[in-house]
This record gives sequence, structure tokens and C-alpha cells, in this order.
Amino acid sequence: MLLPLNNQKSFEAINHLNQLVPDDYRFNITLFFTIKLLAANTILKIFSVARDHYQLVVMISVAFLMCGLLTYMLFYLYLRRKYEKTHEKWRLISDLLIRKAVFYEDEELEDEVVIPVTKRATKLLHNKRFRKLLTAEIMSAKKNITGTSSDNLKQLYKQLHLEIYALKNLKSRHWHIKAKAIQELTIMEMSEFQSDIYVHANAKNELVRMEAQTALVQFNGFEGLSFLDIVTYPISDWQQIKLLQQLAHVPQIDVSIETWLASSNSSVVVFTLKLARNYHRFELYDDILPCLDHSDPKVRLEAINFFCEIFTNETSDEFISRFLKEILKNRVAMVKAMQNVGTERDILFLLDLLDDKNHEIKLCAARALAKIGENGLTSLFDYANTIGYPLTEIVMQIKGELAA
Amino acid sequence: MTWQIIVFYFFTYGILLYSVLLMICYLLIGAFSISATREYLKKNSFTDYRVLASSTEAPSMSILAPAYNEAFTIIENVRSLLSLHYNNLEVIIINDGSKDDSLEKLIAAYDLFKVDYFVNEQLNTKPVKGVYKSHNPVYRKLIVVDKVNGGKADALNVGINIARNDYFVCIDVDCILEQDSLLKLAKPFLENSTQRVIAAGGVVRIANSCEVKGGRLVKVNLPKQFLPRVQTLEYIRAFLLSRMAWTKLNGLLLISGAFGAFDREIVIKCGGYNKNTVGEDMELVVRMRRYMEELNVPYRVSFIPDPLCWTEAPSTFEILGRQRNRWARGTIETLRSHRKMFFNPRYRLLGMLSYPYWFFFEFLAPIIEFAGTVGFFIYTITIGLNYFALMLMIAVMSLGILYSIFAILMEVLTYNQYKQRRDILRLVLVAVLEPFVFHPFVVWSSIMGNIDILRKNNAWGEMTRQGFATEKK
Repeated sequence: MLLPLNNQKSFEAINHLNQLVPDDYRFNITLFFTIKLLAANTILKIFSVARDHYQLVVMISVAFLMCGLLTYMLFYLYLRRKYEKTHEKWRLISDLLIRKAVFYEDEELEDEVVIPVTKRATKLLHNKRFRKLLTAEIMSAKKNITGTSSDNLKQLYKQLHLEIYALKNLKSRHWHIKAKAIQELTIMEMSEFQSDIYVHANAKNELVRMEAQTALVQFNGFEGLSFLDIVTYPISDWQQIKLLQQLAHVPQIDVSIETWLASSNSSVVVFTLKLARNYHRFELYDDILPCLDHSDPKVRLEAINFFCEIFTNETSDEFISRFLKEILKNRVAMVKAMQNVGTERDILFLLDLLDDKNHEIKLCAARALAKIGENGLTSLFDYANTIGYPLTEIVMQIKGELAA
Repeated sequence: MTWQIIVFYFFTYGILLYSVLLMICYLLIGAFSISATREYLKKNSFTDYRVLASSTEAPSMSILAPAYNEAFTIIENVRSLLSLHYNNLEVIIINDGSKDDSLEKLIAAYDLFKVDYFVNEQLNTKPVKGVYKSHNPVYRKLIVVDKVNGGKADALNVGINIARNDYFVCIDVDCILEQDSLLKLAKPFLENSTQRVIAAGGVVRIANSCEVKGGRLVKVNLPKQFLPRVQTLEYIRAFLLSRMAWTKLNGLLLISGAFGAFDREIVIKCGGYNKNTVGEDMELVVRMRRYMEELNVPYRVSFIPDPLCWTEAPSTFEILGRQRNRWARGTIETLRSHRKMFFNPRYRLLGMLSYPYWFFFEFLAPIIEFAGTVGFFIYTITIGLNYFALMLMIAVMSLGILYSIFAILMEVLTYNQYKQRRDILRLVLVAVLEPFVFHPFVVWSSIMGNIDILRKNNAWGEMTRQGFATEKK
């Protein structure tokens, strides 16, 4: 029921209402509506003061916010210090547990290793924070240890059923939790869950995708690269570096990579070319030649880099026939590559390049001529003498480089 | 109503509107910065920079460090640069016609000899007198260039001409870099597959009162002197809040000249550093962005909130005044050269948001603040105290303090470089004092910068530094 805000009228209305109800309820009704009236009046009063002194209200709000931020900051620092102390205790418990696992020797040679876990640690496992800390500590130790000790750490991880929480996190809505779970399962070598991870190899979120791809390579080495068949999102240069680094630590097997050269995902082609170069896949020479005509300049550049290291006597002809069609960056890469792939047949082409507008091309062509052999060097010096700047300076630099 | 009253009300309500807009901007900056920093920290927790450190596939980088009369500290500084963790690196020191014995010291310390070097003059510069390399294979990454004096921008352009790598990092030679700073700065160039990253910057922090040994920062301390301390707060506010927020929007216009990485190809295509401005760092980023917008190529200017570079802040009002005067002139010159972009929809976010923000809230802010304060005092003396104007001034100041405290909170929650609670409280105290002691001086220096622009005074303004080697302990 709405009451008039004029106090006199309000009390009259309450009296009128009281006459309509039994005596037992009169006191409660009077009390209820009087409180309501007072509250409404107080709110109105506050609004009216705020309207008249809005600057004061702004000031008080700002001061209040300032104090709030300060209190929050100090409280946060206090809490952090408190947690640090607790964490220190927990860290000791975790370290002890990890040490036990690392130095555990099964004297009875039982089939299943059982790492002794204290009651306190078991009890603490119900605490999410402790679990998180313990998992991080086990992961950190696992990264730096190999052999039996590493297997014991894996056993400890399983024995404490920490993988259950990781699997639960794998289903999280939040990308960073999901990615962390994949990372955890990878480090702890939980290869039995790779089918759960594989589905994320082409995930929309970049971090989740990257961690899943890393996991597959970690579990299966070169065969783990099978995700390249399905990946539609670009593989960043960073991820390519990471994958190549990982592959460097696993035994090399000759997996069939030529199908990826035809991938519609350019980054897959670039990565495959890097693989072919790093692992000296000479047999792919003919398969990679069409990449010099790929529509993506990055692919063409990577193909040039491949041929810079794996080449035949005809490679320079392939470059020369495509040189004029290339973008400047790739032209420079081609001329740089000529230092390796160039032959005496290419001297005329390289001498032509000494007249190019771009000085970098001139410098690279001069270097290539110098590398080709005595004939190339003589041609370069003779040509430079007839031209003057900048070839004389370039030749001086090359002489210095040859002497060094 | 007299004309004085009309002018007064126009003035006061204009400033009120401006202040409200500014506060809304601060609120948005705060919100975007929280979002950007959270995202970065989450992503970064997956990163192992050691992967890059040992990889042959890491992008090649050249460090460009112009030096002018730095004989006092140059040997240590170069040693510090040579010890950075990065595989594919060359360090190019450009001696910009120093009048002291910087070059002789370098030659003696690093066993340098003059080499025949073809300088590919893709950018016009003052003549190069000589290029030096070391006999000692330990210093094979080092190249020292001696050139005729031409200013910082010219020296950097020489460095770009000499550099052979895909990316270059320009730094002030007297800065101290974190050992993994290059690894962190290289990452943005590698992780983006859909946009070309044309530049990346990192947080610059104040090194005054910090402990430095052998060119490395060994202990972080809050500066003991007031001016460097207040600049510490200012840098936290600028880097952790403003730049992070603009990065989130992909609208960042400034990568600090003290430490930033650039795509060399794009820089050359844009014509390199502009020698006719004292704000060459900002001007280059704006020009690069404009170039990319005009080409309609997807691009990004990245910024990472990790503290990567430590620099010495001015500790006297005289040097600080010169620095701020130069910054103001740099901003005006940059905005003037690229005025075509002002509210020009062709430049999308750059023209419709980033440029107008810099115009209204970086260039105009000191002018409006100065005019408002002067107007307030004139009114008070001639007519009497106006309660409304006074309250407005106090409210703006209080919100400024609040913003600073929020910046300190962000620092505590993220990198927390100043571990002791005492230091945090000192920073809060500085936040309260800043509007009364430091800020008016900065506003005054900016006004002087504006006046210098009108007088066509384009002097750089000498920056005298104490040097880390003599300070500390």
C-alpha cells in the first residue's frame, strides 16, 4: 500500500486503516507503516541533500573508493603474506613427498610401486590450494628428472589420483584451465588420455590448441604430427619453433610428410618444409619444387631456404627462372642461397644482378660470385673496376670477409 | 548576467565536461588494462622462453644503441648488452660524433679494428666515418659505427642501414636490460599468424637507487629521492594501465624510445626515424601504423607488461623540465605531421580513436589544466572564491589520486617489484603529493614546450645522467 509522503496525511491514513482491521492487528499495522514512512522520508532526505550538495557526494564517493582500494591493497598484501607462510609449510610437505618418490627403491621388487604418503599429506589433498601446489612441485621435479626417479614421480601422481582433477579441468569452460590441464597431463606422461587431448588439437583457442599439439608430439614423437592432417587454424612461428625443439629430443623416424606439402593450410606447408630442411629429406626434392610456385610468399621463402641446404646442379636454374616473378624479400633470399647453390653457369646472371637497383641484392650477388670460385671472383673484380660506387665498396667489404 | 559571469560559466562547465570525459577515459583504460594484463599473464604462464634462446629458428635481431658522450659508462653498458640471452643477435653501437673519448675507450676495451664495410644507405643519414669489429671472437656480435653527429634519429637510421637482421631493437645505451628481455620482446613477432606485428615494446622502469653490478640490476629498490620516486609511480601508471589498455584495443601509438623492437622492412619502407622531430619514437610508430592502414594490411603494435628495461630518471627539476618540454614538443610535432588522420574514418581506430585521444587528452590536457587553474585564480582574486570551481578542482585531483592508487594496486597484483609494505605505502603517499608538487611542474614544462613550438625552438635539451656505476649502495 502506498502512503502519502506528507506526514500528517500519512498518519491520518494509518488511523483510517486501523479502523478497518481488528484490534489485535492495530499495533502491528501502525508500527509497520510508521517504519515504512520513516524509511521513505529518510531516503528522500538523503536524495535531497545529495541533490543540494552533489559535489560533496562526489568527494565522499571518491574518498570512499580511495579508502576501499587502499584497504583492499593492504588486505591483499596481508593475505598474501599469510598464504606465503602456509605455502612454505605445504612446500616442505610436498618436497618431502617428492624426495621420498625420487629416492624410493623397491626392495621387494613388487609389480606395483607404492610410494609412502603421510596421513597429513593425504588429508591435505582435499585442499584445492595444496593440491595445486603439490601438482606444480611434482611437475617441476618431473621436468628435470629422468629414469626411475621420473617414473616414481609419475607413480606418485597417479597414486594421489591427481590425474582425475586434471581430467576434470580438461572439461572446463575456461581456456587457461583447459590448457593447463593438457600441459599437466603431458608433463606427467599420461599418454593413456591422449584421445581426450587429441580432440583439442584443432581447438578454437590458440593456447589449448598449442598445448594439445605439444602433448601429441610429446607422447608419440614424429607420429604425433598426425594432427597436421586435421589442423585448419594457422600454426604460429612460435609453435613451430616449440614443436621442432621437441622433435629434436625424440628418435628420428621417417614419417611420410609429403602429403602435408599439399595442405590448404599454408602454415602446415611452411612447417613441413622446415621439417624437411632440418631432417635433410633429400628424397622430397621433387615434391618441394612446386612450393616455389605456391601462392603464399612465406611458403616460397621456406622452399628457397630448403633448397639453400638441399640442392642439385639444377637448383640455381629453378631460382633463376622464377627470380623476376618473386617479391623483393624472396629475391634477396634466392641470391643469398646462390652462395651455396650457384655454379659457374650462373656467373652471367649474378653479374647482371650487380646492376640491380637494390644494394642488398648487389651485395648478396657479389658474395655469391666470390663463393663460386676463382672465375666468379675475377669476374666480380673486373666488373667492379668498370662501375665504381657502390661496387668498389662492396668488393672491399668482400675482400675483408674473405681475408677474415 | 555580466559577460564575465557568462565567460566564467562557459569556462567552468567546459572544464567540467572535459574532466568528466577524461574520467570516463580513465575508467575505460582501467577496465581494458585489467583485461589485457590478465590475459597476458595467463598466456605467459605457458611460455618457456628457453625454447627460443636455444633455437636456430629464432628471428634474427639487431640491437641499435646510439651513444653521445657516454664515455663514462659505455664499456659497462656494452658488456651488459653483449651478455643478453639471445642467439641470433648483433649489437650495433652508434657513436654519434661524441666529443669525449667514447670511441677510443671502446676500441681499447673490445679490441676493435676498422673494417671495410659497405653501408647500404636505404635511409639518408650523416656520413659514416668508420665501422669497427673486434679481433676477439668473443665479441663477434659487436659492431661499432663512428659517424658525424646528427642526433638520435640520425644515429638510429645509420644503425638501421648497417643492421642485417629482420628486426631491430632500439635502446638508450645507458639503460639496463633484463637478461631475457630480448626473448620476451621477440615472442610477439612470432605468435601472431593473422596480423603482421610491426613493433613491440616493453615496460620501462626507474632504476634510481637500485643496485647495479657489472651492468646488471641485482636489487630493485624504490628511489630514495622524491622526483625519481614520483616518476616511478608515473611510469607504473603509464605502462601498466594506459599502454596495456591501448594494446588491447590495438591502438597503441607510442613505443618508448628507451626500449622497443621494430620490423626493419616496414621501418625502411616508411623512411626510418624522422630527424626533424624531438619525438622520433612516437612519430615512427604513428607513421608505421599510418603506412599499414594505407596499405590495408592487418597489423599489430604489441606491448608486454613485463619489466624489461631499467632507466635512470631525472632527479632534478631542471633536467626533468627539459625532458617534459621535449615530450610535449614531440607530441605536438607528431600530431601536426599526421593531422590528416584526425577523425578520418579511412584510418579506422587509429584515426577515430587513438589520434583524437592523444589530441584531446595528451596534447590539450596540460593546456586546459593550465588555463583552468589560471582562470580560477584570476576569478578568485578579482571577484571572489567560487565554491563550485573549487570543488571541481578538488574532485579532479581526488580522482587523479584514485587513478594512481589503482595503478599501484595493479602493480601489487601483477609484478610487485617493490616487495616491502613500507614501499607500497610510500608510493601511496607519493600519489597523494603528486598533484600538488610534481604535476604542476610537469604541466608548466608542457606549456613551455608549446611556447617553444610557437617560437620554433627545436633543441633536444641535454640529459645529464649520473650513471649507475657511481650511484647505489
